[in-house]
Amino acid sequence: MSEVIVQTKSLTKVYGAGAAQVTALGGVDLSVYAGTFVAVMGPSGCGKSTLLNLLGGLDTPTSGDVVIAGDSLADLSDDKVTELRRRRIGFVFQFFNLIPVLTATENAALPLRLDGDPQASEKAREWLTRVGLGDRLDNRPDQLSGGQQQRVAVARALSTDPALILADEPTGNLDSKSATEIAQLLAQVSTKWGRTVLMVTHDPRIAAFAHRLVLMRDGQIVDDMPLDGSSTAPRAALEKAGLV
Amino acid sequence: MIFTLAWRYWRGRGLRSLLTALAVVCGVMLTFGLNGVTPTLTKAFEKNMLNASGKTDLSVAEKSGQTFPASVADELAAIPGIAAVSPYLQQPAPLPKRPVSDPSVNALAQVTVVGIVPDKAARVRDYTVSAGRMITAGDAAAMVANSDVAGQLGLTLGDTLELPAAAGVVKFRLVGILSGTTMPGEEQVVVSLSAAQQLFGAGARINAIDATFSDGTDRAQVEQLVKARLSDKYTIGGLTSNSSLLSSMEMASTAFMMFGLFAMATAAFIILNSFRMLVAERRRDVGMLRAIGMKRRTVVGMFLVESLFQGVVGTGLGLLAGWGMASGIFVLMAPITKDLMHIDLGGPIFTPETWAVSIILGVGVTILAAVLPARAAGKVTPMEAMRPQVGEKYTKDMRRRGWIGLGILVVSLFGLFSRDSGLVGLASVLVLVAIALAVPAVVIPVADVAIKPLQAVFGREGPIARSNIQRNPGRSGVTVTAVMLGMAAIVGMITVINSIFTGYLAYLDKSMSSDYLVIPSSIVLSQGNVAAGPGLARQLGETPGIAAVSTLRVGQGQVGGLDVQVIGIDPAKYLDVASLEWNTGSSDNAVRQLASGRWVIANGIYASSNALTPGQAIVLDTPNGLRTYYLAGIGNDYLNAKLATLYTSQENLQRDFNVADDLLVMANRAANADPDTVTARVQRVVAGYPAFNLYEPDTWKAEQSAIFDMSMIMFYVLIAALAVPSLLALINTLSISVLARTREIGMLRAVGATRRQVKRMVLAESLLLSLIGTVVGAAAGVILGYALVLALSAIGWEMPYSFPTAGIVTATVVGIAFGMIASSGPAKSASRLNVVDALHHE
Repeated sequence: MSEVIVQTKSLTKVYGAGAAQVTALGGVDLSVYAGTFVAVMGPSGCGKSTLLNLLGGLDTPTSGDVVIAGDSLADLSDDKVTELRRRRIGFVFQFFNLIPVLTATENAALPLRLDGDPQASEKAREWLTRVGLGDRLDNRPDQLSGGQQQRVAVARALSTDPALILADEPTGNLDSKSATEIAQLLAQVSTKWGRTVLMVTHDPRIAAFAHRLVLMRDGQIVDDMPLDGSSTAPRAALEKAGLV
Repeated sequence: MIFTLAWRYWRGRGLRSLLTALAVVCGVMLTFGLNGVTPTLTKAFEKNMLNASGKTDLSVAEKSGQTFPASVADELAAIPGIAAVSPYLQQPAPLPKRPVSDPSVNALAQVTVVGIVPDKAARVRDYTVSAGRMITAGDAAAMVANSDVAGQLGLTLGDTLELPAAAGVVKFRLVGILSGTTMPGEEQVVVSLSAAQQLFGAGARINAIDATFSDGTDRAQVEQLVKARLSDKYTIGGLTSNSSLLSSMEMASTAFMMFGLFAMATAAFIILNSFRMLVAERRRDVGMLRAIGMKRRTVVGMFLVESLFQGVVGTGLGLLAGWGMASGIFVLMAPITKDLMHIDLGGPIFTPETWAVSIILGVGVTILAAVLPARAAGKVTPMEAMRPQVGEKYTKDMRRRGWIGLGILVVSLFGLFSRDSGLVGLASVLVLVAIALAVPAVVIPVADVAIKPLQAVFGREGPIARSNIQRNPGRSGVTVTAVMLGMAAIVGMITVINSIFTGYLAYLDKSMSSDYLVIPSSIVLSQGNVAAGPGLARQLGETPGIAAVSTLRVGQGQVGGLDVQVIGIDPAKYLDVASLEWNTGSSDNAVRQLASGRWVIANGIYASSNALTPGQAIVLDTPNGLRTYYLAGIGNDYLNAKLATLYTSQENLQRDFNVADDLLVMANRAANADPDTVTARVQRVVAGYPAFNLYEPDTWKAEQSAIFDMSMIMFYVLIAALAVPSLLALINTLSISVLARTREIGMLRAVGATRRQVKRMVLAESLLLSLIGTVVGAAAGVILGYALVLALSAIGWEMPYSFPTAGIVTATVVGIAFGMIASSGPAKSASRLNVVDALHHE
């Protein structure tokens, strides 16, 4: 059995108080093993983004705990969580979130630079080349297509050699062709480069590239199944769970 | 990394970075530029004064007046703090009578020959050649002289003058005419030192050395060093460090610094606004940076480094603009000072302190203003990266700050009307702070009222503009505050300037009310003026058609170690031709009292700074020792309103100060005399005193008004420089406002708003903001102006309060103009937005 990279214990997140209280996540237990590509699906408001935020240490749970590569986030200070994010977790966002005034290389090197890595540029260029942007190293985001921008974001996420990549609707802002390419890239991140990827998506076609599918509704995991590469399996699972 | 990011972000903002930098530019320009003017003026006035009085920073002579070796000058030059030395040999030479028909040619019986080393002397005194050339060190038989001396000698360029030498006669050819005028009895011709030494058979000896100090030197310290170095057979003289001129210049320097601070305060609001918007715009960037591991303090640091770039660029440009402004002021002032005050100005001088203060202020204020937004950026959570872009967030408790502002306002009002200058200054700053705090809290109700006058013009767009302002009261409040500061500056400054000028003109009417004024060329400064012997007043008194003559004489004394000028008047005649503007409790009786012993009248500034009351004893340090005088009253005259002054009888002045020469002569015509005839006679009398000018009240007042008018131009430039940051603040806010509402504007266009309507909406918002700022600013300006006039009166400079109607009108016009100018760019870009793109804007 491979190493558990992500583990949540009764993870709960409640927003608001009194009558306005909303339970976004209601005691979720989840374990993700190293090198797997997990897709999380569910209708809007089911808690998948909240789960991702809590896993990434971007938000704090109301109760329960998150353990990333053996480190319990509850035991860490804000600065330590920040360091953990910088070194052990990579993020890929729906809106790419590249710094508009930096080049592709500079954007990809950002987490390394924040960590004071003297090899930052070399490593960033290497990852950009691996994701197919070897000829776009010095372009700024506004000189790149949406798909290319998201590739820069993937290179940035991988540049620090993290154990876990968290992707929040990474194809949500892309055309169909670019979306497929990014999904293939994320699958490659897992299968070829051995990273653990946890992706939130609405698109069953994109989820089909993952190894495992987690379905959520009303802050709970309602199904958790392996995927075999069949492009229809995620949609079938959603239908079976009554989520479409 | 943070430097790269900050730099790229700063560069990436382009025009907006430049606009924000302009705010800093204005502040630094005023601080640097104005303070570059003062040292030059001080130096120019000093030089003029020194030239007129024959003094330099330091002068060394042998106690008995004998010659001494020229090497003493080298010893003096080696002393730290001495910038330049000029050794010279100066001796009177009798003039042989010349057989010419014009008797005026032989008007001089003797002339003082001054032998100088030209290049050294030029560093200590002003030897500006108006015609011909200056002598050189090797000139054995060449000389230069002032034009009036040349005239009295009957010489023109190329003519020769024979001077009796130790053996025989030496002929000197006039090779150059110096600009400047000569004091009676001080007629000089200037030759080379070697020529003078040969003329007088002095070998390699000299009999005096003039020296100037380096900038920023402690006079007392250098004098001590000189005394320690030279033996006690030398006397050391020079300027006193606490002369009223120098203290006037220090006051001007402080006032200029206040201008700079005011502009920097406005700049701070603009920077604060800009950086708040930057943080709002970059929430998602910051969220992402936090998500990928940037620590909070690194985020704060990134914004502060960006503000550092902003400050450095703004300060750099400000220094450049300040230099330009100072040079411009000199170009404007040079003709006035040359024509009216006979002073040649050089270029601006920037002391190390001016550099340091300007740079620290420019960069420091920019960084300080960015601290709050930077801290807010540090609080952005990584989750912001997950969300679509949102607008600005204002969570401040505006109501609480509003109450604090109101509290400060009430407290500061007590200070404003305390009539204590220090308290007024503090309270003025507090009033502005209070308004800045209260404005965001009141901007919502104020906008409801202020929209009414605009409703007629902007029927449909008005309410949208109002809601744009009201939905973000924090940002609107900062803009209103920036506009308010500019407008308060305009109204307050105009109040004070008008009051000062009205007061001066009243002084002018009252204290210069005689029919004729006979005044030395550089009367503006009391020290170093030429004085006339008793002949001038006597001759005028004997002139047919003249009914009354009175004179002013000036001596210098000290009270408690500080200089005070002592003006001698004739108690019996003074009130016939002039008067004093009396402070409360004093009257013309005080003048009459001067005749009855050691009595003095103090002017307002002096009485106030020394807390003097009538009847009080004042121990005056006179050239003849300490003398106790008593205060008869407190009053002011036009010329001496700003200088520490005591008036006493001419009898006292002669007895205790050894001064019997007239500095200024006033005369009145007899009631039945023909003005033209009398004026012609008076002109003939005054023609014999070339250092004096004759004025009739109208010409004198016209000349003074011309000086006022020119000064007003300078003030208007300053006021404009203070107002410009308000315009920048408006432009900044509107650009930000349009940017923040891109999607909303797209929606308005999608549902049918025309481009014109969008434009009008932005214009209405701009006008509304500037209108609120102008109204608040005008109110603040009226309060500040009134308080400043009270404070000036409290320090003895009594002046009538002049309500700033012109200032309010100007501020309103400027406010409306600013509103329209500021809106043009943002309105254009808002109306040109592509609807589809705008709807997808994040």
